[in-house]
Amino acid sequence: MQKIRLTRSMRLHMLPALLGCALATAAQAHPGTERYIPLGQSPGVSGKGAMMGTVVGYEGDMLIVISPAYPTPQRARMVPASRVWLDRSAAKQTTLVGAVTDLKPGRRVEIKFADGARRDSVEWVKIDAAVP
Amino acid sequence: MDHRARRAALVPGLLASLAVWVAGCDTTPVPPADPQAALVAKGRKLFFEETFGGNGRTCGTCHPVENNLTIDARFIASLPKTDPLFVAEFNPALARNFENPRLMREFGLIQENLDGFDDLANRFVMRGVPHTLGLRVSVASPQGPRTGWSGDGAPGDGSLRSFATGAVVQHFTKTLNRVAGVDFRLPTGAELDAMEAFQLSLGRQEELKLPLALKGTVARRGQEIFLANNLGKCNFCHGNAGANVANIPGLQGNQNFNTGVEDLPDNPAKLTGQKVPPDDGLGNPGDRTFNTPSLVEAADTAPFFHNNSVATLEAAVAFYNGDAFNNSPAGRLLTGATGSGIKLDATQVQAVASFLRVINALDNIRQATELLQTTRKMGGGREPGSALRQAIAETGHAARVLIEAGLHPPAVAHLERARAAARKALYGWVGGETRLADALGALESARTELVQ
Repeated sequence: MQKIRLTRSMRLHMLPALLGCALATAAQAHPGTERYIPLGQSPGVSGKGAMMGTVVGYEGDMLIVISPAYPTPQRARMVPASRVWLDRSAAKQTTLVGAVTDLKPGRRVEIKFADGARRDSVEWVKIDAAVP
Repeated sequence: MDHRARRAALVPGLLASLAVWVAGCDTTPVPPADPQAALVAKGRKLFFEETFGGNGRTCGTCHPVENNLTIDARFIASLPKTDPLFVAEFNPALARNFENPRLMREFGLIQENLDGFDDLANRFVMRGVPHTLGLRVSVASPQGPRTGWSGDGAPGDGSLRSFATGAVVQHFTKTLNRVAGVDFRLPTGAELDAMEAFQLSLGRQEELKLPLALKGTVARRGQEIFLANNLGKCNFCHGNAGANVANIPGLQGNQNFNTGVEDLPDNPAKLTGQKVPPDDGLGNPGDRTFNTPSLVEAADTAPFFHNNSVATLEAAVAFYNGDAFNNSPAGRLLTGATGSGIKLDATQVQAVASFLRVINALDNIRQATELLQTTRKMGGGREPGSALRQAIAETGHAARVLIEAGLHPPAVAHLERARAAARKALYGWVGGETRLADALGALESARTELVQ
């Protein structure tokens, strides 16, 4: 079997593909500090990609909310990577890490989708803890 | 008219003359008519003066104009102990799990909770403060904006505009509860717009176009090594000595790499025995990649890499000779693609560093020139973060990066003359316009010593 020897020129031409494989990481926002930003105040997200609404229910892995922006209830898929935060800033208290059990009907929420266009999973959901 | 009456008659004239003279000396900035300039000016004021109701820090606390918009141990040592940078040392609410005062003072490191605030005692990283120069040409990537050392420094949409919001939450808080409206206030949309405009106005607005017609023999050779794909190989990732990839079809903009900096032996911060958890870079959990910094501004923004692990520019260049880089994912890719790793001898390391020093000095001179021209046009100069103060700092930095390596003594002499003239314009009572003209002339003389 004939061995293929890579010349320097061939190797240099391979560099884009090799680096391309290595660089498939997408830019990301900082999930840590996002936690402490109250509902509706996330820069570049609130009022743009994120959805404000009120929880109607939770079925399977689907969070169901009604939003003034939509005529019908909206469904948002919660995945293991989805973060839930209990925003208690109205009570001048720190934000807590929440869970899907905190997504109770009647609570006001803000939802950011992992992909704003496809809306196939939730990146984070902030719950207004003022409504018990 | 007797003697007393004549003197009394002179008073109104003298007062009028005094009023005219004082008006001529007024250093209050003239409000710029250009809306963009007004936005930048507003952003500058916010950046250096606004505490957002927090612990006393401003953006300028960690990005001081007089130190190239970053901090290092030498600069930190010059600050009074009451400086808000040291808030963890005098605010009991921030005494634990907010900063590590020893690592801050010794290595210029600050504490970041990039992977969340759930375990403050154990889950954090210690990072240097990146300068905010040249952001217009170093943040954009096809995958979205890359801010901070790992590209994920901003909350919200991850943009430079949003970065300040995250900084307030992380660094400005009065307590570790981090409650908006109690421990700080969040910047408004208008404030974010202004601060973004100001930050984008800092430093380079466009990429260099290498090669430059450098006059220095060693720096010129350093440029050749830098650009050679079979020797320095620097230009692949630092296109035109900036922060963006070059000569790699299909790739563009700022990109993340795992270059093995975390694997360096004898990381200075870890040598202290202080807790320094591994930094996993981009994402949560991280992928151990960090975004590529620009090199044009490197020489006067030491120490280097995300963890300030390397103190000098020459050692930063030499890093790419070592096992940590050549065994890293990025190093192995480079070896696979070019047939070898990076192996530079001492003279070649010095040459590349000299090249980087000269292009840094040239950029300082360009900036100082523009800032002095702005001062002439718009007036002002004495307020914190003013264009004139920035120009003085830039001129000093240009001289320092050359002096540190014994490069271009005649250019250094011109730079010192320029700095002295600009300082007289700042602190003197008369002759400001002449001083500014002198400074501009000396800067041009320095530039022509460095490049054709």
